[in-house]
Amino acid sequence: MARVNDPELTKRELHGVVAEMYDRMVKGEAPTMTLPVRTKNNIGFDKKLGVYKYGKKRSVRDASSLGSAKNLLRALHVVEFIEEMIKSGKSSTLREMYYISEGWGYGKFGSQNDSNNLAEDLEVITTCLREDFKLRPEEDGARMIGNLTLQEKNRKGEWMRINARDDVGDSGYGVPYNVEIEKIELLEHDVDFIMAIETGGMFDRLIENGFDEDYRCALLHLKGQPARSTRRILKRMNEEWGLPVVVFLDGDPWSFRIFASIAYGAIKTAHISEYLATPSASYLGITADDILAYDLPADELSKKDVEALNAELSDPRFADGWWQDQINMMLEINMKAEQQSLAKYGLDFVTDTYLPEKLGELGLA
Amino acid sequence: MPLLNNLMQKEYFVQGPLSLGLWRTLNGEITMAIAEKMASNQKQIAISEFFEKNKHFLGFDSMPRSIITAVKESVDNSLDACEEARILPDIKIRLTKIEDKKDVIELMAEDNGPGIPEAAIGKVFGQLLFGSRFHAIRQSRGQQGIGITGVVMYSQLTTGKPTIVVSKIANETSAVSVKIGLDTRKNKAIKSEQDRIIWEDDDGVLKEHGVKVTCRMKAKYQRGKQSVYQYLRMTSIVNPHAAITFTDPDGEVHHWPRVTERLPTKVDAIKPHPHGIELGQLQRMLRESKESRMTVFLRANFSGVSMRAAKQLCEAAEVSEKAKPSTLKPDPIRNLIEAFQGERLCEGRIVKLLAPPINCLSPIEEMLIKKGLSKTIDSKFISTMTRAPSVSHGNPFQIEVGLIFGEGMVGDSHVEILRFANRVPLMYQQGGCLLTKAIEKVDWRQYGLEQAGGKGVPKGPAAILVHLASTNVQFTSEAKEALADNEIVFEETRKAMLEMGRGLRKHLEKKKKMAKTREKFELINDILPAIAAKSAAILGRPVPDLSGSITKIMNAIIAEEESVWNKETKQVDVKIIFYNYSSRARQYTLLTNWPEKSGAVMVGNERGGRKETTGIWAWKMETLNPGENAMIEYSLDGLEKGDWTETDVFFRGNQEVIGATKMDEKMLEEIRNQEEISRAAGIEIPDDDIIDEDEDTAPVAEGDNRQTTLFGGEA
Ligand SMILES: Nc1ncnc2c1ncn2[C@@H]1O[C@H](COP(=O)(O)OP(=O)(O)OP(=O)(O)O)[C@@H](O)[C@H]1O
Ligand SMILES: [Mg+2]
Repeated sequence: MARVNDPELTKRELHGVVAEMYDRMVKGEAPTMTLPVRTKNNIGFDKKLGVYKYGKKRSVRDASSLGSAKNLLRALHVVEFIEEMIKSGKSSTLREMYYISEGWGYGKFGSQNDSNNLAEDLEVITTCLREDFKLRPEEDGARMIGNLTLQEKNRKGEWMRINARDDVGDSGYGVPYNVEIEKIELLEHDVDFIMAIETGGMFDRLIENGFDEDYRCALLHLKGQPARSTRRILKRMNEEWGLPVVVFLDGDPWSFRIFASIAYGAIKTAHISEYLATPSASYLGITADDILAYDLPADELSKKDVEALNAELSDPRFADGWWQDQINMMLEINMKAEQQSLAKYGLDFVTDTYLPEKLGELGLA
Repeated sequence: MPLLNNLMQKEYFVQGPLSLGLWRTLNGEITMAIAEKMASNQKQIAISEFFEKNKHFLGFDSMPRSIITAVKESVDNSLDACEEARILPDIKIRLTKIEDKKDVIELMAEDNGPGIPEAAIGKVFGQLLFGSRFHAIRQSRGQQGIGITGVVMYSQLTTGKPTIVVSKIANETSAVSVKIGLDTRKNKAIKSEQDRIIWEDDDGVLKEHGVKVTCRMKAKYQRGKQSVYQYLRMTSIVNPHAAITFTDPDGEVHHWPRVTERLPTKVDAIKPHPHGIELGQLQRMLRESKESRMTVFLRANFSGVSMRAAKQLCEAAEVSEKAKPSTLKPDPIRNLIEAFQGERLCEGRIVKLLAPPINCLSPIEEMLIKKGLSKTIDSKFISTMTRAPSVSHGNPFQIEVGLIFGEGMVGDSHVEILRFANRVPLMYQQGGCLLTKAIEKVDWRQYGLEQAGGKGVPKGPAAILVHLASTNVQFTSEAKEALADNEIVFEETRKAMLEMGRGLRKHLEKKKKMAKTREKFELINDILPAIAAKSAAILGRPVPDLSGSITKIMNAIIAEEESVWNKETKQVDVKIIFYNYSSRARQYTLLTNWPEKSGAVMVGNERGGRKETTGIWAWKMETLNPGENAMIEYSLDGLEKGDWTETDVFFRGNQEVIGATKMDEKMLEEIRNQEEISRAAGIEIPDDDIIDEDEDTAPVAEGDNRQTTLFGGEA
């Protein structure tokens, strides 16, 4: 899904937020900010886009309590700040904005989390992207290795051509925070699919074992819950190059959530699911079946794990039969296993046996 | 000095007497000792030996404890002397480690009391059981006449050094300085280097009167819960009229300032009450009586006995009214005791006795407890409660409690318990003490403190003070560390705690509400205008008028209260602002409380209004339209700084008022009733010497619940 980057549109959208507050005060009412409810109860499948998006439920934040009034004031400061950045052609990290807010008097943020949430709120209301706001996250994106060629605009404004196999070291190509077309262009590739991997240990194991070469794939390290740029670049490669995406994670409830955010969209970012989600991505493992089938060393589920699995059972993104089976099975065997538990059978087992078998099931090997 | 008579009697009669003059019996009556008579046929023991044997009762059983005891004896004496002479005490204590000598500490204790005449110094410091107080039944610290002599003795026994005493009385120009040692065989002072000197204080100012004692003893200075520091801190809490300066062995100076100029009320001595008398004592009293007939004897020597009661007691005891008291035989005496106890009846009824008078008690009183607590503990909320005096076994007593709560105190540990008996700190045996047990019996959870299972010492950022004022404090042991169980005292203490706890709960609830109100004010005064300004600036439009939004957001009627000390006028300025932030016009009557009973006078109250009842004023307010506010201002005269920091606001009207409580008309009624009762009964306690034939006017009966606080609890 391509996007246009239009600063004027961004400004207009932001002014809409301000005008809502202003108009209410003129009418002698408490100022408000209306935004979609951002919980799993308000996400639904968008058939046209093939991803999960926020539904129609709206919540109104009004200035009748001190907390939410401060929130509105902060939003105004943020709007002003974004406008200034657009004007001066600068960008800032969310963390920087948090520190800059020290000078905003009553509009100062209480915590970094507050500033992150507010940036998301504004995205949700305006349907603009953080990138349009010139705000970038702190966490760096993923690492990538494989025969992919792209070009990235460097600080001098020049395009740099990079091959993610030949032009990089062992740590691979680092995905920047902005992966939109104004920053990155995908040029060419010579792989059959992309494999997204949860842990650094497994990523390095596959590289050392030469898996990318042997199986003609690109490897991508997710670093736990993947950053937006990671999901966005996966999406672009999937869409622009038509490459299948397989996801290789630990076998626990949290990994299921990571997969859902990659494939269907995350609850917190459901307003931009169409840009971030890759509906055709497949879950490779570790599955609950795998734990039994490969007799993997496993841990008992904690109380938190069980709670998470139960919550997933009622999450619309896991409504399909296969997921319901997997979740129920995990609850039943009361076990979870890490990717690296495959090492039980030796360092090569994952590349020689497990992955070929699993990829075979998906018709990719 | 921790030595009770049963111990003394045992020592004297079993092991042989000391050549002493007087001792005090359990109930405080004075008796001439028969020591001399017995001295001839019994082996005389050395006082030093007696002291050695009883070190633990005297408080000199360990080195850390000895120094606390020595400080306590001198401070007690200074406070007693000042109180009697109506002088505001200035007490200085200095401890110095003596170099090269292991565990030797020099104590210097100085006061500005009346001083001791030269002729008496030898007796005061060098003779056991010389004291001025044991003849009286009333509340005082020193009782036995052993205290300071014990310190002199301990010093001499452990370091061989005499005690240096400097004393000056007001009508002499010079002071006397003398070294006091003890002849432990003769219980007599050995004086040396006696001299008259010019006594100046550190600034070179001539000292008008006072006593300075310097002595050296084997002792160890420690810090913590049981320390000289803690003893002085606690002492300063219950003696807010005293200024105490303490220089510890490291040279660090601690100062507890005087926070009130008000001296403790003067206490009068009372005669024993029949309910508190024992057989032996009654026998002695009868034997020594000069009265010609029983009825006269009973009325002259006891409190609470009217003419009618005296006759009835005789009848119940089957003793002739005309009998000569000094010739009464053992059987009739026993009968009399039974009649006293209500075991013998007169015409089928227990003989009705008046309660003993209570002017022998000197409670600290709520306002001063507040001040005392707030000078040593830095925290804002204090709830106090002084119960009305009560009587247990013929002994008047009174319970006072105080609770300080809040910031600046440790929150996750047990609350600090500060126990006092007759203004003397109790520092040992906390667990075994009646006062602690009463605290543990209360379910503090309902009042906002943590407490496992609703029993035991509660946890939280708080300190609880308990003071028992009594003419006869019953301890668990001779060491006078913990109060012995007594059902009536226990109940009084527990009730006081409950009442105080309710005060705490009310405070916490109010605090919560006020925090919310403060938030709302911040919202409409700061945040909303900022939102208006910023949104207008971003959109390039005019700043909108906010009055409509403010009414919508607040949708409440709010009373803001402020009670602040005015340094210039020496008054408390009270200001109440009353806002109508609702969408309708409102009409209310507002009421406030003020400490009328503590002598505060309302001044500068331009709005007028009227007095509702004792300590409650009411104003009928004009109708307030939406968005309007009104103000009440007045000042309180006759208070000291810190006396009054928070005014309660009440209202009559329909809609809730944030920051005020709906007036409880039943409670108001109750206050009025009590007022009526006190007026009818007369608050003055009738003088015991004037015989009042009408027993129905008994001022305070056992178990009476009259309280001195209006708002200690809820109706
Ligand atoms: N600092 C002082 N100023 C004036 N008089 C004093 C002072 N210290 C002691 N006295 C007098 O000396 C008397 C004896 O004091 P001492 O401490 O020996 O006994 P006490 O205080 O009467 O009883 P206790 O044994 O309970 O302490 C006191 O009763 C008091 O009259
Ligand atoms: Mg004494």
